[in-house]
Amino acid sequence: MDTPTSAISVRGARKVYGASPNALVALDGVDLEIPAGRFVSVIGPSGCGKSTLLRLIGSLEQPDGGDVEVFGVSPEAACAAKLVGFVPQTPALLPWLNVLQNVTLPHRINRGAERRRPVASGASAGPAPDLEQLLRDVGLGGALHKLPAQLSGGMQQRTAIVRALGLRPEVLLMDEPFSALDEFTREVLQEQLLDLWDEIKTTVVFVTHSVTEAVRLSDTVVVMAPRPGRIVDVIDIGLPRPRSARQIKTPEFHAYEDLIRDRLQSAWQSPDLSTAA
Amino acid sequence: MTALDAPTGLAETPAPAARIAAPPAARTLPASLRPSRWLPIVLMILALAALWQITAQGMPYLLPPLQAIAETLIGNPAYYLENAWITLQEALIGLAIAFVGSSILAVAISEVAVLRRAIMPIAVVLNVTPLVAIAPALVVAFGFGPEPKLIVTAIICFFPILINVSVGLRSVPTAVLQFYKTIHASRAEMLWHVRVPSALPYLFAALKIVFPLSIVGAVVAEMFAPGASEGLGTAIGLASSNNKLPVIYASIFMLALMGAALLGLITAVERRALRWHETHADGA
Repeated sequence: MDTPTSAISVRGARKVYGASPNALVALDGVDLEIPAGRFVSVIGPSGCGKSTLLRLIGSLEQPDGGDVEVFGVSPEAACAAKLVGFVPQTPALLPWLNVLQNVTLPHRINRGAERRRPVASGASAGPAPDLEQLLRDVGLGGALHKLPAQLSGGMQQRTAIVRALGLRPEVLLMDEPFSALDEFTREVLQEQLLDLWDEIKTTVVFVTHSVTEAVRLSDTVVVMAPRPGRIVDVIDIGLPRPRSARQIKTPEFHAYEDLIRDRLQSAWQSPDLSTAA
Repeated sequence: MTALDAPTGLAETPAPAARIAAPPAARTLPASLRPSRWLPIVLMILALAALWQITAQGMPYLLPPLQAIAETLIGNPAYYLENAWITLQEALIGLAIAFVGSSILAVAISEVAVLRRAIMPIAVVLNVTPLVAIAPALVVAFGFGPEPKLIVTAIICFFPILINVSVGLRSVPTAVLQFYKTIHASRAEMLWHVRVPSALPYLFAALKIVFPLSIVGAVVAEMFAPGASEGLGTAIGLASSNNKLPVIYASIFMLALMGAALLGLITAVERRALRWHETHADGA
């Protein structure tokens, strides 16, 4: 059943919230194969189910229909083996722990996880990464012993990214991690994320509502539409890496942005127009 | 001349504003020592004392003169200290029983939804019931020993801790729970590393209520079971039947002192234990 190259495999996923009269179909018939080591963004308007899709992959919710697999096992088994790193929209740090403690605590939790790593993931569990070095790499060297409340939003989110990456996850799930940050901070963090990812090349599923962000970061952009939540297009981004800030201004970059905007618009408008007419 | 030279030198520096606005001498005092801090309360206490004395002069059956209270306190300190010690012991042992019991139950009802639905509504109702009223019933049931005092104290301290801690254990933001769920934290790990620390500010809020409340519980129970054992509540009861107004107020003074000391103690512990929470609150 499972293809060893597929890191994430979603088949016919369906998720419904609420009871039948005013039920909300968050996802319907979603199929998605993500090869290992790819950076995939999921983009779409509010209510298109992109965060729901992420939560299904992260075992935070169960599908009402269909099937989700991470490296050939269920999302729960993948989480039990600590294959998944999760970066939520808010940093979600523990306010009583300093930056370093926030990043190291996950290593003291679920210690038996290594034994549960499935063979398909091919993860050779090497030595634990130097978390202090990782924090220094993203500019948090001076903040190792500071509490989250003493940090800016950008620094908090960097801590959350290091916390997830420090687990050496086979799959990194990011749920609009930069949406609460200002434009400048967001671009700096995008660049740092690309630098980090360049080294580890883990599989990333990155939920966003920013077209520019999706094009800049991704190998593949998955375009979704709401009511019911579904995938309308999957676009491979053929831009060379590393992607510098300068590249955002090139015509090739704009072409991809326009293409995605077109897909979003047509998907968003078509059902509404037909009912309005 | 240095005093004159200094401003001239400052005027030539590019950014003199910060240095010219030298802090006035009063600013160098610690905040708590500034007159603006302590003067209002000192004046208020003096005004109240004067009012008390005037009332005591005119209506001695209403309030005893302050010097009479001071005389009995100073004249027989052992009496008040011994009784205060007994009351304090009852209060703190009762509180400890309540703390252990309610903390265990709080963890149970925060972890098990069925228990929560069964117990929380009752706890909320009992929390707003004046449970000191149960004291006479417990004296009837348990007699004049220390048991009814401990039970009354434990009961009135129980529900504020239970409600606060069980709310605190569930106060963890969803995103935090989600992160730790994706690394498959067990319930015990989640409880120990995430929920219990999250509940600490709620626990201390409850302790600041129940430390003084524990004294109320002990005193009320003593009043309903006088004679057999001592304590400030018993002392007040005895003094009341003998019309010894200064003794009553001297005992009340001791109780107020104990309540304030306990509140001060728990606030100091909280400040140490929850340094992160304070900086958190300042930042917000």
